[in-house]
Amino acid sequence: MKRSRFLCSLAVLCAVPFLGACKKSESGAGGGKKLTIAFLPKSKGNQYFVTCERGARAAANELGAELLFDGPTNSDPAKQNEIVENWISLGVDVIAAACENKEGLSTALRKAQAAGIKVVTYDADAQPDARTFFVNQATEKGIGDALLDNAAKLVGDEGEFAIITANLTAANQNAWIAAIKARQAEKYPKMKLVDIKPCDDLKDKAQQETTNLLGAHPNLKAVISVCSPGVPGAAEAVKQAGKTGTVKVVGLGLPSENKAYVKEGVTQLVILWKVEDLGYLAIKAGAALADGSLKPGASEFNAGKLGTLKVEGDNILLGTPFAFTKENIDQFDF
Amino acid sequence: MTASKTTSLKAILARHEVVLLLVIAVEVLLFSTLGRRFLDGSNVSNIFRHSVEIGLLALVMTPVILTGGIDLSVGSMMGLCAVCFGIFVKEAQLSPLVAGFLSVGIGTIGGGLNAFLIARLKLPPLIVTLGTFSLFRGLAEALTKGSKSYSAFPDSFLALGNSQVAGLPAQVWIFLVVALGIYVLVHHTTFGRSFRAIGFSPEGSRYAGLSVEKNVSLAYVLAGAVAGLAAVIFVARLGEARANAGIGYELLAITAVVLGGTSIFGGSGTVIGTLLGYVAVAVLNNGLKRVMDFQLLDRKISDMASELSGVLTGLLLIAALAVTPLLRILASRRSRSQN
Repeated sequence: MKRSRFLCSLAVLCAVPFLGACKKSESGAGGGKKLTIAFLPKSKGNQYFVTCERGARAAANELGAELLFDGPTNSDPAKQNEIVENWISLGVDVIAAACENKEGLSTALRKAQAAGIKVVTYDADAQPDARTFFVNQATEKGIGDALLDNAAKLVGDEGEFAIITANLTAANQNAWIAAIKARQAEKYPKMKLVDIKPCDDLKDKAQQETTNLLGAHPNLKAVISVCSPGVPGAAEAVKQAGKTGTVKVVGLGLPSENKAYVKEGVTQLVILWKVEDLGYLAIKAGAALADGSLKPGASEFNAGKLGTLKVEGDNILLGTPFAFTKENIDQFDF
Repeated sequence: MTASKTTSLKAILARHEVVLLLVIAVEVLLFSTLGRRFLDGSNVSNIFRHSVEIGLLALVMTPVILTGGIDLSVGSMMGLCAVCFGIFVKEAQLSPLVAGFLSVGIGTIGGGLNAFLIARLKLPPLIVTLGTFSLFRGLAEALTKGSKSYSAFPDSFLALGNSQVAGLPAQVWIFLVVALGIYVLVHHTTFGRSFRAIGFSPEGSRYAGLSVEKNVSLAYVLAGAVAGLAAVIFVARLGEARANAGIGYELLAITAVVLGGTSIFGGSGTVIGTLLGYVAVAVLNNGLKRVMDFQLLDRKISDMASELSGVLTGLLLIAALAVTPLLRILASRRSRSQN
């Protein structure tokens, strides 16, 4: 029977191009005392995390550290744990993780800490005892203030506005809405919140709700969406109602999803943190934790090109969110 | 020419199991040379710790496929059993041990449902388990409203998923016991040997006096029960019980079985083959994550380990399946050209 020989040669044939295409990387086999930092995204294919990784790489290059990057490519909840456990047995120095399953991944991160690895989280936190610092991209107040301040500037600090949210029970969104209300009471007495509508995180529903809002409140000056599908949804409704420019649209969302409306002038601006900086900061913080220059209890952190950032408790704050407008939105691809 | 010697050597090499053993040896050689700390004790433990659930499913998938069936519902069953385990411990305040047995019980009942529909009502296994694939996962999601998860289990329970016992991860010992059990069942009992006879010819087996219905039923009930066990181990490893446990694991288990040489039409295959197929895939998945000193398309191989292991597992499986028909075509062409 030649079946076996054939199978063997087939396997070898498969392996040859694979090996041929490989080249030894410049970094070498961990010789010397080079810091090894592992960077874990929630998922690998997501443009948001690809952008995070770009910032992480920049930071690693700056530090002369080796960066390992791996994340789940499917929805198996065990994948993040397996990747972390692999890094533990590999003996990396630092792990920076964005947690998909908070409780589950905390199990693995605790093991990493027990093995002497420094752990920071970014984007989505683990349980507090499973990491030293959380690199927080934006506080609730930061987001609420940025949304309302920008909307107020657009409407000259007075007039009616409405909010589109994901659904009325979403914890994140409700915290941001509370921040918006507090800011309004404190700084903009002439502005009035007339309605809050849920869109179930659907663009179509947001469009429909905004159309209703425009009909019900003829004096409406601005729509603020606190969920990302709501921004293009509200923009489409305003555009179709022929109110481009008269009713301002601002919201929290990815620049790529809103580029067309921003350029048309329907949406005035979208707010988000600079995703690349988030990855950069996570690596910087992890490395500083490893070399001892950042310790629990610190009140500020010098993050290289990002300057000195505030640390609140065990949260390192990336700072105020960034406003993407007609002028700058073309520079971003996430 | 020492004819007898070469034929015996050929006969050994021709065995699918031997070929798989060679594949594993090549993998180990390759990864221990190219990878970083691949043969490190903690990594070898990881290889098995991370794949034990898939290994368990592959073991019980073997009798199912031997009878000419298939069970697509085992991954979803893990999700349902994981959620039930969480509810038993966290809401009913049962001890993890009792909850574990109850979860295996739920798996057994689910397997029983498959068995009833397939063996009794004679419905096609693919369709039945496609139905229960949705049903079990749907129930798991409904019980947790899609997002609720159970965590903060006692350390003594988490040890099942995270500790070493006598040099091996705790759950690997359970796996070895199940593997031995399935091996003895399939290869050393009259009852188990009939799995292959049924797969080869269900009608013939019936005429030969085999209780086809009972045999086929047992294969599915066993699959359900072991899926429940896999779910408990999975929860112990992650420290979290959630509806998405075991998502996609049914296909990984089927891959291991088919790679191990079991015919997807039933009738032929071995438990040893399944074990080797499972190890070959597990080593590949883990090993690629260790190759960080080499690059492909300007990225570290370890940075694309999951993508590459998908590609390579696919190639390996297709190669293993395509060999026989390809050889037949080659042989017939050769004999034609000789005529």
